[in-house]
Amino acid sequence: MESSKVDMFIMSNNKYFESHQVAGIREQLLGMDESKWPILQTQQFKDPTTSLIVSLFAGNLGIDRFMIGDTGLGIGKLLTCGGFGLWAIIDWFMIMGATRERNFEKLQLAIA
Amino acid sequence: MIHLRTFEYVPGEHEAEKASNSYLMSLVALIAGLPLPIVNLFATLIFFMGNRKSTYFVRWHCMQALLSQFSLLFINSFGFWWTMGLIFGKEEISDRYIAYMIALFLFNLMEFIATIYTAIKTRKGVHVEWFFYGSLANQLIKPRS
Repeated sequence: MESSKVDMFIMSNNKYFESHQVAGIREQLLGMDESKWPILQTQQFKDPTTSLIVSLFAGNLGIDRFMIGDTGLGIGKLLTCGGFGLWAIIDWFMIMGATRERNFEKLQLAIA
Repeated sequence: MIHLRTFEYVPGEHEAEKASNSYLMSLVALIAGLPLPIVNLFATLIFFMGNRKSTYFVRWHCMQALLSQFSLLFINSFGFWWTMGLIFGKEEISDRYIAYMIALFLFNLMEFIATIYTAIKTRKGVHVEWFFYGSLANQLIKPRS
């Protein structure tokens, strides 16, 4: 794929991925077929900051986990009322990383 | 008590953030879980389990944060149930109880300050090894081959 397109994608989406993943993503996209560009453009990634805000306010109900696509963990969190408050606190520190990981997995699925 | 050491490799920005979060999370859990001392241990254990597939640096610091809670658990549990005994039982406040509570407070304060210091240093990518817990973490956590 053209490097200008790849750089544009990286610039506008790098906040959705872990910093160490960005260089690898760039390499992958450069070697990707041009026909996948429309699929890539339509991908919607979850914002880690939004997940953190949701986790702070609705973490006890598991909404943050539902939001990033971890339905099983979300149900577990909902039924235990945020793991008796404890899991909700732990997720304040983990949800941003988890969101970036899910975004990376989503991207891998899209360009596979 | 606390040694600044050179790690096997230079940890990346994302690793330093996650490792530092393990200490910060233990502080938040400690405050949220008071007066129950077991809450903090559970929180660090779950945090370690959540990061078990992470890098060596992150796992190592999660393990040190977890191990440092064990001694606190015993000291705080004893203090907690002694206090419960005084409130609901027939026992009266003795000099031994006051001495124990002062020691407990000092130990907790020391741990609190050490945790804040380690969180700040780890966030900058500096490898901080605690006395005893650092050696234990070295034994328990090995780099993936």
